Amino acid sequence: MININSLSKEYVMGDNKLLALDNIDLSINEGDFVSIMGSSGSGKSTLMNIIGCLDVPSSGEYHFRDNNVSTLNSNKLAELRNKDIGFVFQNFNLLPRLNAQENVVLPLLYSGKNLKERNQLAIDALESVGLKDRVHHRPNQLSGGQQQRVSIARAIAGSPKLILADEPTGALDSKTGLEIMKILNDLNAKGITIVLVTHEDDIANYGSRIIKMKDGKILEDKKNVNN
Amino acid sequence: MSITDLIYLSQKSLRSNILRSILTSLGIIIGVSSVITMISIGSGARIEVEQQIERFGSNNLIVRSQSSSNRGVSMGANSVNTLTLKDMEALKEELPAIKAIAPRVSLSTQIVANGNNWLATVTGTTNDYFDLGNWKFENGRSFEEEELASGSRVAIIGKTVQKNLFDTDSPIDEVIRINKIPFTVIGLLDAKGGTAWADLDDTVIVPLKTAKQRLVAKKFPGDQIRSMTINVRSSDLLFKTEKDVDTVMRKLHKISANGNPDFVIRNYAQFLNARQESSRVMSILLATVAGISLIVGGIGIMNIMLVTVTERTKEIGVCMSVGAKKRDILLQFLIESLMISLIGGLIGIALGLGVIFGVSEYFKWKMSLDYMSIVLSFVFSSSIGIIFGFYPARKAANLNPIDALRYE
Repeated sequence: MININSLSKEYVMGDNKLLALDNIDLSINEGDFVSIMGSSGSGKSTLMNIIGCLDVPSSGEYHFRDNNVSTLNSNKLAELRNKDIGFVFQNFNLLPRLNAQENVVLPLLYSGKNLKERNQLAIDALESVGLKDRVHHRPNQLSGGQQQRVSIARAIAGSPKLILADEPTGALDSKTGLEIMKILNDLNAKGITIVLVTHEDDIANYGSRIIKMKDGKILEDKKNVNN
Repeated sequence: MSITDLIYLSQKSLRSNILRSILTSLGIIIGVSSVITMISIGSGARIEVEQQIERFGSNNLIVRSQSSSNRGVSMGANSVNTLTLKDMEALKEELPAIKAIAPRVSLSTQIVANGNNWLATVTGTTNDYFDLGNWKFENGRSFEEEELASGSRVAIIGKTVQKNLFDTDSPIDEVIRINKIPFTVIGLLDAKGGTAWADLDDTVIVPLKTAKQRLVAKKFPGDQIRSMTINVRSSDLLFKTEKDVDTVMRKLHKISANGNPDFVIRNYAQFLNARQESSRVMSILLATVAGISLIVGGIGIMNIMLVTVTERTKEIGVCMSVGAKKRDILLQFLIESLMISLIGGLIGIALGLGVIFGVSEYFKWKMSLDYMSIVLSFVFSSSIGIIFGFYPARKAANLNPIDALRYE
């Protein structure tokens, strides 16, 4: 599903060049649950952004399903993000003015689904994360765990192939964090590929494969025996 | 993403900051209301001028007698009527630019008919009077040559006189008594309506000769007349003819070029020009106000939209991460600024209508609501929203998704 060949990402800041990703090779199969670990500055977020088609590599190749992502323009990237990829962020990133249902509907708006269909999809998604009775609540009326569940609902509403979770439990207490991980686990069990970025070992342990990164390089890539 | 969805999202964010949205559209509100008022004043003046021409005829000069003073001593009441039919004939002969002249004698007197009586102005004149004054007949006819020549007791009455004397709409062949002398009604004039100072329909018109012989023999002895209406062949000859009439009249009355004339020439076009000029100045003033406020309003919209884009950078990143294309972001911010300017436009139209009705009520200034001006205001305000909203919207659309998402 994901094929990355000698991919590098370089940031230029004034006179300094920062090599965020240094000649990375990586492939992820459909149905994998991959945890990417590393300290801050290790390049794990940059890798995640490139996998999520939010950013393009400086050099190297990235194939996502049948697309050579390095060659796509911003519209095609937006389409990929819309149809095939769902994001779950550390701080939820819900739009404060919209209620839970409207937040979940957002990606469906951009994909041009009709009103009836997208409202149904949004309600189904919210129901599947256990928020059926919170559809008309705004983010500030919801707890952190509920907000993260809304953002998961938003990620899965368009039935994506891949979910990218960037420290999804980072802003939550451990009990709520476990609930969120359980939801992600269930989604993986249904066949959705999950790439998780974290620096917590017990969260990373949910993955079937753990990748450790340092200084823009992959340090270690192994099957998770604990899982 | 459909337009209705875009509008829905835009109104959500505008309503979350409703005071700011209204304040932002203030410039547009003032601009649009000025545009509407300006156009109304302009077309009101134009219509008023057209109506005046319709009422009083165009290209007319009116020459009236004026009591003269000789070496500081007033010549007395009898000297008031200094104009004569000879003057009229002389003017016709000397000045080829004159197409026709209608002489006039008049008195204000009691009219009796049908057991009612009514005070009206009686005018003695010729058939030219009807053409020059743009009078039309609702019923009946004008004078026949024979009636004018022989001084027949026939009368043509105005609408007001008819309403006050008769129950019927067709008073033709009825008899009215002017100064106890019976006259047969032969015509009824179309209503012209009132002006601020007179009811034009409160009139009775009889042949000049009849009036001079039977009604005003003492007031206008010999061939004296009260005034004459001179019709000039074309409007470009009007002002030159006014001067020529003055010259000829001075010669006839033996008054030097800088002496006090015993007549006065009124050129109605002068009044109309002044009226048009003052409304033109007013319109230019308002157009300036409108132009400045629309530009300032547009800059205000741009300013606020730039602030909004910055405030919502993270939100833009989120939208991009879930699949918003550049075009979606561009359209959303464009529609937001368009909505601000259209709301401003709507409030401006309402305010402009208020001003128009207020001004025409209080100042009795003729204003005419031009529906084109409303369309124009819509076009104006929406193009300002689009023009000044474009730069901020493009700035939002060109954000890099990663930078936008990371923005705090």
